[in-house]
Amino acid sequence: MITWMKIAIRNIVKNRRRSLFTILAIAVGYAAVNVFGGFTEYIFKSLQDSFIYAQGNGHLTIFKKGFLAQGKLDPFQFMLSEAETELIRELCRKDPRVMVVTPQLMITGLISNGSVSTIFVGVGRVPSDLTFVRSRATGMIGRLKLYEGRNLVDEVPHGVGLSAGLAKKLDLHQGSEAIAMSPTIHGQINALDMQVFQVFHSPYEELDDKLLMAPLDFAQSLYDTTSADRITVLLTEDRSTLPVKEHFERIFADAGLDVELMTWKDLSIFYVKVKDMFDIIFLFIFVIVFVIVVMSVVNTVSMAIMERTQEIGTLRALGLKRRGIVKLFAIESSVLGLIGSLVGIVFTFVGWGLVKVIEPSWIPPNIPYRVPLEVHLVPGYMAVSFVFLILLSVLSAILPARKAALKGIVDALGHV
Amino acid sequence: MPFLSMKKIWKYYQLGETRIAALRGVDLDLEEGEFVAVWGPSGCGKSTLCNLMGMIDTPSSGELQFLGREGVSLTDDEKSELRNHSIGFVFQSFNLIPVLSALENVMLPLQIKGTSSTIARKKAEESLEEMDLGEHIHHRPHKLSGGQQQRVAIARALVNDPMIVIADEPTANLDSENARRIIDLMRTMNGRKNTTFVFSTHDRRLLDRVKRQIHLQDGVIVEDRMLADEAS
Ligand SMILES: Nc1ncnc2c1ncn2[C@@H]1O[C@H](COP(=O)(O)OP(=O)(O)OP(=O)(O)O)[C@@H](O)[C@H]1O
Ligand SMILES: [Mg+2]
Repeated sequence: MITWMKIAIRNIVKNRRRSLFTILAIAVGYAAVNVFGGFTEYIFKSLQDSFIYAQGNGHLTIFKKGFLAQGKLDPFQFMLSEAETELIRELCRKDPRVMVVTPQLMITGLISNGSVSTIFVGVGRVPSDLTFVRSRATGMIGRLKLYEGRNLVDEVPHGVGLSAGLAKKLDLHQGSEAIAMSPTIHGQINALDMQVFQVFHSPYEELDDKLLMAPLDFAQSLYDTTSADRITVLLTEDRSTLPVKEHFERIFADAGLDVELMTWKDLSIFYVKVKDMFDIIFLFIFVIVFVIVVMSVVNTVSMAIMERTQEIGTLRALGLKRRGIVKLFAIESSVLGLIGSLVGIVFTFVGWGLVKVIEPSWIPPNIPYRVPLEVHLVPGYMAVSFVFLILLSVLSAILPARKAALKGIVDALGHV
Repeated sequence: MPFLSMKKIWKYYQLGETRIAALRGVDLDLEEGEFVAVWGPSGCGKSTLCNLMGMIDTPSSGELQFLGREGVSLTDDEKSELRNHSIGFVFQSFNLIPVLSALENVMLPLQIKGTSSTIARKKAEESLEEMDLGEHIHHRPHKLSGGQQQRVAIARALVNDPMIVIADEPTANLDSENARRIIDLMRTMNGRKNTTFVFSTHDRRLLDRVKRQIHLQDGVIVEDRMLADEAS
């Protein structure tokens, strides 16, 4: 084994130019996959954190059964009563994996600045709960400034937030007074005064001229109800999402609650779409890297075999079996794959470090302002591509080496 | 008892439309301890015969037995093992592995066999010592003269204590003095170890110390002469 390794390494060193190009091809391929993979990981993580923490949607959302299917037309039919909300809250809090359980109520209606009015789509949240959920965000999302102005507070139910487009449309600013109007669940028209505490950016551009965020008390007063239409659950860890969901489905059913649970992934259609898109782009890059690595290793090994045909004949005459020849070249290209991947790890760190130092920023889709662009180091990707590229190098060597091993010994020795 | 026996061996080569008969019904037995020269003009079939004896090529027809085993019935792996254990090769252009030192080259047959490195190293050193190459064991082939390289090759051929060493034109790339020395060295090892040696040449001057001369012409053995055994 040591002898074959010696032959392999010394030949790699001997043909250092050629070896260098192969190693670089593998290394660049490795770095391309891992830097891009690290970028997609940043995108996925940001979208996930943005949905769960910044937008305060939590990991799980509990609805009255039927709300998602038929509730669009008749939301009042599918509300969670105060008693149900209390029961759900109690059941959830027994689980140590649960951090926050908080009800929400979506509202729609008209908003007026006194002279003109327009429609709004709003959500009533418990301000202290929302603040806590947002405070759990880490990384880039945790550092984002989500609004201009003051925080909403439990004590001031009429202090609300408007999306920037809506505020502009009605010429409302921080501290401005406005009126919200809407039918209650009983069908009477209701109107409430409110004060603009903050102006925020809508996570969805199309909705930027419509959004309103209010304390839950305000939303419930406007609708004249004590019910909520959903309950958001924040967990201590992202990866508990599915197990907790299954567990809750069982205990809610046992408690006779007629509810359904959705994970953040079920509800974040945007996340799933972006992830699908990036997965396809990743696949493209992966295929390109695959082809480049296979081609350069096949090329290198084929050249080595051509130059060393007589050597192959000699080794066969000395008694080396066919698979011994294949092994010899497989070892050689596995060394190339190994060095290439190691250099690739270095390149990946360099790429990661450059992004860290340069701190590029960009305006991603559906976020209306500049955010830092990051590349994450993903040990899982790095380990898998390490093993994969070495295996790929070995496999690419086997075909040409097998062909050489099957050649007649006398031919290989170079008949004179 | 011959350990290698060839009966009615024919070997054809297809060259485009034409079929060339390189060997035409060769009968040949080899016994232990023989020192044989195969000689004849260029193209008479010397290399072809050597390749068949060395189990690196197969005859078109005829029977070839090595140590009682029928050549055609052996798989490629079995032939490889047979070569590794029982046949040593010396080539015209030395054929040392360029990236390996003299010592590592000589260790090769043992390592192919699976002998441990320590033992292989010891045996290879002894073998090189016998070839008077003690100081050169760590040199790469390109640092050695042709004569030295061919001695390394002989050390490599002998390191596994084979039945037979086959040398196809081992002196063709050497000057006459070195050629002489190589043949003498092989003869010495033949005397010392009783290993059978077969070498081919078209140089008649090298035939004087052999025990047996096989004269090939146009793929036929025209003369197979045993010489009186002269002590070495
Ligand atoms: N691979 C081959 N394809 C076609 N013809 C071949 C091949 N090998 C040998 N021959 C032919 O077979 C005959 C015998 O060749 P061989 O090489 O055995 O002769 P040789 O005695 O070793 O010659 P030399 O002294 O030139 O080495 C020659 O006519 C040669 O042209
Ligand atoms: Mg020849």
